[in-house]
Amino acid sequence: MTWIVWRQQRPVFITLVAGLVVSVAAVLLLRAGMVADLQAGDLAGCLPFGSECGIRAADGFQDTWFDRLRLAQGTVLAAPVLIGVFIGAPLFAREFEQGTHALAFTQSVGRTRWTVTKFLVAGLPALVVVGVYQLVVHSWLEAAGELGPLSASTFYFTSFDAQGVSPLAYTLFAYTLGMAAGALFKRTLVAMTVTLGLFIAARVLIGDVRESLVTPTRLITNDLDVNAVVPGRPLVVDAGFLDSGGAVVADPTPMMNCTDRADAQGGVDWSACFRENGLAQRYADIVPAGQATTLHLLEGSIFAGLAVLFVLGSTWAVRRQV
Amino acid sequence: MNAGPVRAEHVAKHFGRTKALDGCSFSLPEGSVTGLVGPNGAGKSTLLSLIAGLAKPTSGEITVHGTAVRGRMHPDVALLTQKRPLYDQFTVREMMRAGAAMNDRWSDERANEVLDLLAGVDEDAKVGTLSAGARTQVAIAVALGRLPKVLLLDEPLSDLDPLARDETLRIVMTEVAERGTTVLLSSHLLTDLGDVCDHLLLLDEGRVQVSGDIEEILDEHHVVVGPAELELGVDGVVDSSRTARQATALVRGGTVPEGFQAARPDLEALVMGYLRASRTRRLARR
Amino acid sequence: MSQREQPVLAERLGKKYSRGWALRDCTLEIPAGRIVALVGPNGAGKSTLMGMTTGLLRPTEGRISVFGDAPTGRGMHPAVAFLTQAKPLYPQFTVTETLRYGRNANPGWDQAYAEELVEKARVPFAAKVGTLSGGQRTRVALALALGKRPRLLVLDEPLADLDPLARETVLTTLVRECRAQGITVLLSSHVLAELEDVCDHLVLLAGGRVRLAGDVSDLLRAHADHRTLSGLALAHMRVEVAA
Repeated sequence: MTWIVWRQQRPVFITLVAGLVVSVAAVLLLRAGMVADLQAGDLAGCLPFGSECGIRAADGFQDTWFDRLRLAQGTVLAAPVLIGVFIGAPLFAREFEQGTHALAFTQSVGRTRWTVTKFLVAGLPALVVVGVYQLVVHSWLEAAGELGPLSASTFYFTSFDAQGVSPLAYTLFAYTLGMAAGALFKRTLVAMTVTLGLFIAARVLIGDVRESLVTPTRLITNDLDVNAVVPGRPLVVDAGFLDSGGAVVADPTPMMNCTDRADAQGGVDWSACFRENGLAQRYADIVPAGQATTLHLLEGSIFAGLAVLFVLGSTWAVRRQV
Repeated sequence: MNAGPVRAEHVAKHFGRTKALDGCSFSLPEGSVTGLVGPNGAGKSTLLSLIAGLAKPTSGEITVHGTAVRGRMHPDVALLTQKRPLYDQFTVREMMRAGAAMNDRWSDERANEVLDLLAGVDEDAKVGTLSAGARTQVAIAVALGRLPKVLLLDEPLSDLDPLARDETLRIVMTEVAERGTTVLLSSHLLTDLGDVCDHLLLLDEGRVQVSGDIEEILDEHHVVVGPAELELGVDGVVDSSRTARQATALVRGGTVPEGFQAARPDLEALVMGYLRASRTRRLARR
Repeated sequence: MSQREQPVLAERLGKKYSRGWALRDCTLEIPAGRIVALVGPNGAGKSTLMGMTTGLLRPTEGRISVFGDAPTGRGMHPAVAFLTQAKPLYPQFTVTETLRYGRNANPGWDQAYAEELVEKARVPFAAKVGTLSGGQRTRVALALALGKRPRLLVLDEPLADLDPLARETVLTTLVRECRAQGITVLLSSHVLAELEDVCDHLVLLAGGRVRLAGDVSDLLRAHADHRTLSGLALAHMRVEVAA
């Protein structure tokens, strides 16, 4: 049965591998070019995170490379949905559309075994491909260090979604979603559309909820300067002011007073003004960068849990064909 | 439990409110070739998939060689559905390999025997490029590779030209002759069925109208012809028609109506009589 | 018979596709008012011949004329109606709408006649075509073809997928209507037995060439070792395949 699925998927596998080879080659070439540019511009000192740099040289470098790096992140983001739509959705839908499911059903192989074998044999290579590609892109991003997109928070969505277990979790989700849609609707085009729509919806919704998965830590500082960056580039869930009693100041009036005064006087000492208006401390509810992995795993397990449901759903849909 | 090759007792299959099969009982003798006939929508394909175990009956029971069939493909049964599903992208050789991979019991020898029959099938050709007749031959090879004791064929002759039909029937008959396989095949082509079948199963509106040995059934019926003015006045009239000059009827049972000439029907006349009667019933209901 | 009356006249007709010649050196005459059986194994060129008769395909070599005109790609000859195996009707249309489509698409449309045919078939006018049985759909397709008042009716496997009763009914209707109006019928079918009583002219194709052509009675007289049309045809098809 493994051989059969492999043979049926052969064109898909070939496309996957060819696509991977071409993409990896492209990334490695670009990476090499970028490293050459770094050395030529003598920008090695700018790479470590947090370091300061000669602005003009760095700007020129970033003009050329920053967007390309972002684009590379984008491709890692796109991979899961492509796998779901082009590998997951047709997996069962094609069989039902062409009537070849009747062939499998009239042999001795049980329907559950058929479903599971197709799921595993067609899915594993896709996951491997995504994983390899993700790592290669990440190595390119790391090579840019502070000058690349990784300098922004590790929680920024293009970075977060392209790192750790997330791409694999999304791929597993998209693939099993496609598979289930195909088994349920039995029409390839319908399954592909449903997969695309539901995948995007799920990612947006769960992405919004991401922050609440971990209990944030509250950082309190006496420095009322709103422009001070929270160190360590964490995910800032919420931020604001505390009064002298330690309670959150929800009322915007104090801040409005200061803004009005700044408008009237053409400038103001913000910290002093805030203190006059009763604001004592600033707080930030954060998820520290060190917890990123935990967040990846938590979000990933949501998607993985859904994937399990989809696998069960597919098996049910296939078996119920009576 | 009687261990005949196929035995159905009060089998019914409902899809929602539609009754595809409504209480079918019959038994197929060992080594027989039974023709399954009936109007479209009579439940023939449904019955075949129930016997194979592809679907579960809503009520009633089907047994194959003594074991009950319940929603799982019976190992002794092979079913060839009307679309003759095969993996079009595979070569014939790969298709045979797939057959072996999907079946616990498989005989490469038997499958290849079937492929070599008649003009032989090119093993390196892709299945999708084969002619309809060759495709049917490959599909039968996959079915027979399972070494079934019961072979079910759903409209195996449709879309085939006369030569291919002839050849397909020959393959089936060889199987029966050499291995004593019990065969149940549905077809609309009554002349072809008449050549190969020794038993008949006639379905209409989900019920068995006629079942048994063809010769015995034909013995039991008469085609009667007489002047148009005469009434039939006997029981067991299956179907009758009247033109300006004469009245014709298909009658079941021994009595020949007064003033009518009786003759033994052939298979075609018999089946057509029942089909006409069924159509009359359906039209009258509207 | 003048050219204008000859339904089909083909001279050394041939059609080549990239994979080879589908039809070669085909010379035949279809006489008027006959019911002509077109038989042959799959791939023998039957659909190709019918396609060229109806103007859907252009000959690679040779000529074909239908009622004296060469079929062009610009539309079917008004005197020719074609019923393919797929019976292309729009499943969403009701029967009435289907007939209206026929009226809009064909000059010389006879609405009364088409409706009469549908009534005789006892098909409800308000029913959507997609909900009809195979036999009913064939009858509607036939009404669509005959409503055009053709002089030549070309049918490609019209009886496929129909149960025996529907086959008999459709064939009877076809024969009755066409004989009554002197319509020439060119009919391809795989079931030779039912063509026996119906066709009076036979064209047998095999391997892209005409192997037999002529009136049935003449052919049976000439090949005395076969008593039936099916026997004769089958024997000739077998010979060609073996060759």
